[in-house]
Amino acid sequence: MAEKTVGKPIKRTEDPRLIQGLAHYVDDIRLPDTLHAVFLRSIYAHARIKSIDTTAAQKLPGVVAVYTGKDVAKIGPVPCAAALPDLKVPDHRALASTKVYFVGHPVAVVVAESKSAARDAVDLIEVDYQELPVALDEEKAADAKSPVIHEQFGTNVAYKLTAGEGDIEAALKSADQVIKQRILHKRLAPIAMETRGVLARYYPGEQELTLWTSTQIPHLCRTQVAIMLGMPENKLRLITPEVGGGFGSKLNVYAEEALMGWISMQLNRPVKWIEGRRENMQATIHGRGQTGYIEIGFKKDGTLTGLRYNVFADMGSYFQLLTPAIPTLTGLMLSGCYKIPAIQINVTGVFTNKMSTDAYRGAGRPEATYVVERALDLVAAELKKDPVEVRRKNFPQPNEFPFKTATGLFYDSGNYQGALDKALKMADYTKLRQDQQTARKEGRLMGIGVSTYVEICALGPSAAMPAGGWESATVRVEPTGKVTVLTGASPHGQGEETSFAQIAADELGVGVNDVTVIHGDTAIVQYGIGTFGSRGLAVGGTAVYLAIQKLKDKAGKIAAHLLQVDASTISFAEGKFTSSAAAGKQITIQEVTLAAHVAKSLPEDMEPGLAATSFFEPKNFTFPFGTHIAVVEINKETGEIDFQRYVAVDDCGKQINPMLVEGQIHGGIVQSMGQALYEEVVYDDQGQLITGTLMDYALPKAIMIPHLELGSTETPSPVNPLGAKGVGEAGTIGATPAIVSAIVDALAPYGVRHLDMPLKPEVLWQIINKKSAGAA
Amino acid sequence: MKIEGTQKIDAPRALMFAALIDPAVLQKCIPGCEQMEKTGENQYSAKLTAGVGPVKGVFNATVSLEDIIAPEHYKLVVEGKGQPGFVKGSGELNLTDAGSATDIQYTGEVNVGGLIASVGQRMIQATANMLAGRFFKSLESEMKAQAKLPADS
Amino acid sequence: MIPASFDYIAAKSLDEAISLLATHKDDAKILAGGHSLLPAMKLRLMQPKVLIDLGRIKELSYIKEEAGQLRIGAMTTHFQVETSDLLRRVCPLLPETATQLGDMQVRNKGTIGGSVAHSDPAADWPAAILALDAEIVATSARGDRVIKATSFFVEMLTTALEPGEILREIRIPGGKGKSGQAYVKVRHPASGFAVVGVAVNLAADGGKCQSAGVGITGVSPKAYRAANVESGLKGNALDAKTLSAAAAHAADGVDINSDLYASAEYRKQLATVYTRRALEIAASRLK
Ligand SMILES: Cc1cc2nc3c(=O)[nH]c(=O)nc-3n(C[C@H](O)[C@H](O)[C@H](O)COP(=O)(O)OP(=O)(O)OC[C@H]3O[C@@H](n4cnc5c(N)ncnc54)[C@H](O)[C@@H]3O)c2cc1C
Repeated sequence: MAEKTVGKPIKRTEDPRLIQGLAHYVDDIRLPDTLHAVFLRSIYAHARIKSIDTTAAQKLPGVVAVYTGKDVAKIGPVPCAAALPDLKVPDHRALASTKVYFVGHPVAVVVAESKSAARDAVDLIEVDYQELPVALDEEKAADAKSPVIHEQFGTNVAYKLTAGEGDIEAALKSADQVIKQRILHKRLAPIAMETRGVLARYYPGEQELTLWTSTQIPHLCRTQVAIMLGMPENKLRLITPEVGGGFGSKLNVYAEEALMGWISMQLNRPVKWIEGRRENMQATIHGRGQTGYIEIGFKKDGTLTGLRYNVFADMGSYFQLLTPAIPTLTGLMLSGCYKIPAIQINVTGVFTNKMSTDAYRGAGRPEATYVVERALDLVAAELKKDPVEVRRKNFPQPNEFPFKTATGLFYDSGNYQGALDKALKMADYTKLRQDQQTARKEGRLMGIGVSTYVEICALGPSAAMPAGGWESATVRVEPTGKVTVLTGASPHGQGEETSFAQIAADELGVGVNDVTVIHGDTAIVQYGIGTFGSRGLAVGGTAVYLAIQKLKDKAGKIAAHLLQVDASTISFAEGKFTSSAAAGKQITIQEVTLAAHVAKSLPEDMEPGLAATSFFEPKNFTFPFGTHIAVVEINKETGEIDFQRYVAVDDCGKQINPMLVEGQIHGGIVQSMGQALYEEVVYDDQGQLITGTLMDYALPKAIMIPHLELGSTETPSPVNPLGAKGVGEAGTIGATPAIVSAIVDALAPYGVRHLDMPLKPEVLWQIINKKSAGAA
Repeated sequence: MKIEGTQKIDAPRALMFAALIDPAVLQKCIPGCEQMEKTGENQYSAKLTAGVGPVKGVFNATVSLEDIIAPEHYKLVVEGKGQPGFVKGSGELNLTDAGSATDIQYTGEVNVGGLIASVGQRMIQATANMLAGRFFKSLESEMKAQAKLPADS
Repeated sequence: MIPASFDYIAAKSLDEAISLLATHKDDAKILAGGHSLLPAMKLRLMQPKVLIDLGRIKELSYIKEEAGQLRIGAMTTHFQVETSDLLRRVCPLLPETATQLGDMQVRNKGTIGGSVAHSDPAADWPAAILALDAEIVATSARGDRVIKATSFFVEMLTTALEPGEILREIRIPGGKGKSGQAYVKVRHPASGFAVVGVAVNLAADGGKCQSAGVGITGVSPKAYRAANVESGLKGNALDAKTLSAAAAHAADGVDINSDLYASAEYRKQLATVYTRRALEIAASRLK
């Protein structure tokens, strides 16, 4: 009997192949006769294409084809799944034809026998552009005087949307005080370690197309690419080999995916495109990108009365899969983990001459948490109260769950006090505040930041999702007793090959190594939705669990038949079926499996085999939460930030594997530190992307990260039988406000109450320097 | 991106100004300018090989002189396109007497696009300053050379 | 990220490399560790037709004491400098600089000669080379030419090396008296290169500063010796006040870089603060 593993920190079974370089990414798949594609991309942010001359490129030895916009007009538009009222949807084609809208916009693609021939040919394509004025800043671009990007709309405003419940005007009026604050969420680049890549192979005889692509959503991508190509969906097989990170950037359907399929069909040869890092910066979606205005109303005792958030959301020039929907998630989470009787969000989605924004780890929710947490800090500062006290004052109590927010959500379960208390204790908060007093007396700039957050995970009930929010699993016990799990979720770094195997192993009484988890091949795995929105375990894992229950039910009946007892007397534990009617008799799952497959003695009318499929539809989202505390000291002479402590207590419901949970939290916090301190996609005033490489776009590195002290509480979710909530995005949601808050707190002696990210040392130094100079 | 500065050159203002709008002089002074052909009134097409150290690109450029108010002001506009992207520079030059010499006060705006913009961020400002520096250095030696020539040439 | 096509020749000796360079002239580039050259080629910022690889020439990789000098072969990797027992003993500034350069992979492949020849405005080595008053030996068909570090760095990405010349060796004069050295740097959060890097080489006798070499990189289009800092130290007792007053001159008389990460104003401040820190560390190490 194998040892139970659920709840234990077992090592990831996928790691050995990753660490040893034995994994296969798209670029590792080599097919004979493969052609290579390289794109010519716009170097202008906004221009009319007067002419394109590909003659010289076509003549270069090794070049097989050069395609421009008009050649690929038959390929359908790049899909946007977000449906919003009165949404203006630009016609987004695989290649630009009359105008280019952003630096990186694909204009032509060269297909050649070698990568270098294709790349050489790109330089030979002559494009005559007529430059046009640019619209870059989301707020200014919304103005009627701005240059218009999509002429047919006559405006850059893609949509306006108001959401929220309660009488916001009355709520703000009833407040003792209202604070307003402008707040920026700069654009970030997701920077998956593996850039995008596509390999397409058309089989003309079978009229089938196989697409290897680095995506988080193999099935949805298959459906959409089939529609774009006008081919039967069941003639398209989509395979995601190893995916080297996505962070939302591969929760998408990209022009390049359909285009490679189309080219392979034109040329009857495999064709491969591997995105370069500079391309990845320019033409893979960005995250965040909001300019917002907060209004928060509150009573003298700190009780919140209402919150309004007016926000200009930067769409970029086109919609990708979920672009316009991302700010709506911000709206959903504006209540944070607080009771706010009235909430309103007014979103203006704005086209700009930049790459599209879309889901990046957290997708709209980090923005919400940041807004709410900054707002609470402002309230605390105004009332001269401890920020912890103001938070506590507004928490719903554990017995108030499911808790209804003024954004229309029902939080499943929670104990916000519990996580906060634990974090305060770990950090020794009272002592920290005393230390801060001492530091201030000594003229040192020490700051403490606390963020209490809640996030919306396990996306989601289908009713709330653009394309279904369920997940699928098939579990098979093979004749030899080995277990195969086919999951519609598509793990790409989260460790679900391990956690799903743990669930299956424990449920079936086999070892984790007896279980294989298969995903990411539409010809093998039943239709599924994919991995994003911290849904893998809570939705996909639940499907695995439920499939196993069905399977065990059937196995139980076979066991009863073999033990010659009534099925109602059968119970299953530790891999063995026993019967209350026949003491001492037992039969193992392996024996039952074999019997199910040789099928010589099965209950009447029972089908042979032992496999079951489940499509799990969750009834609600889940709402993980926690408290993050950052402690910093800022160097007065240079503005450099020294992290003294970082404490995080996260509650993601039941933990299947605490080591995976820690890994996700670590990664999330690190990305948060990136956002808070370093990262920013910068376009200059001409729309040139000047953080074009990793020499300028600063990703946090291990040496830049302080020791992270992690703790957790476990409040099970009632939404699924695993009690799991999800943890993939928690770190990026909880950490950013804590870090900013700590830095702002450190600078409080200079009268600072808010600063916009990224908090580069120079920004801090300028404040310290100017104020000191002013005081002197 | 902005560049600005003041340069004192030991030449009388009228002479200085004449040189600054003389295509032959400009060709010698615009860094990397290999040829310059007149295409219209105060308009030229040019070939530039510009860059720093081993990192150089060839640009097909246009050079135009605008807002000419002799002998005190004009605007020099250079726009080039090439494999590494595009460069657009415009500079307003104001000349004032400084005794027998001339002060040239300049403010310019430089924009780059394409590859150079996306990879060159950290060196672009310094490069622009450097190229402006070279322009004036060449100008200075040109004026010195002119001063040595007989006055009527 | 696909370079233009080029020919590759692995030179077997320095003489062969010199003659290959003489043959191919401007079409050729020397390949050392490739950690500056190859990225530039992949971006097609450089498109040499021929690469002459020095990687197989063993005679260019050494660290030794000779004629009262330290001599370091051009092809010595950053890692070899970092881990050299000899250097740790007699010139710890060099290993201390190497430790802060790039990451492990870069240090394993990149060479001191390649870095100095490339002369990136934010490279670490130039600061140390200047502070140590080093000499650079360039070699060509015409023989060796010895160039002072102070005249070697001409401007951004441009050195005193002439066409056809190969950087063969770096020579560092032997120290006299007690010496204290230090290298400190502000790493750019993206590239890891020096936003500001300050190398200090102090010698003192009887509590007074006898000589001071202060090399600064990252601040200006080329690395420089901070002459006013040095003159503020020489002949003085190295107390906190002196160090701080001298450090205030760290960016005197140079054009100061500005980029997305640090404006000229802020860079100047960093230069001042980090120069003071480097001086303090170096002074504390005087022995
Ligand atoms: C990720 C990364 C991070 C880095 N971080 C840093 C950092 O923090 N600090 C830092 O200082 N550097 C850094 N570097 C640069 C690194 O130090 C390079 O190795 C170094 O700048 C060049 O040395 P190389 O041996 O790789 O030279 P190569 O790249 O081979 O050559 C560079 C140039 O010098 C010429 N050249 C090379 N050797 C000679 C010679 N002997 N004679 C004449 N010409 C020659 C070449 O032709 C070429 O033009 C980093 C590089 C990378 C890729």
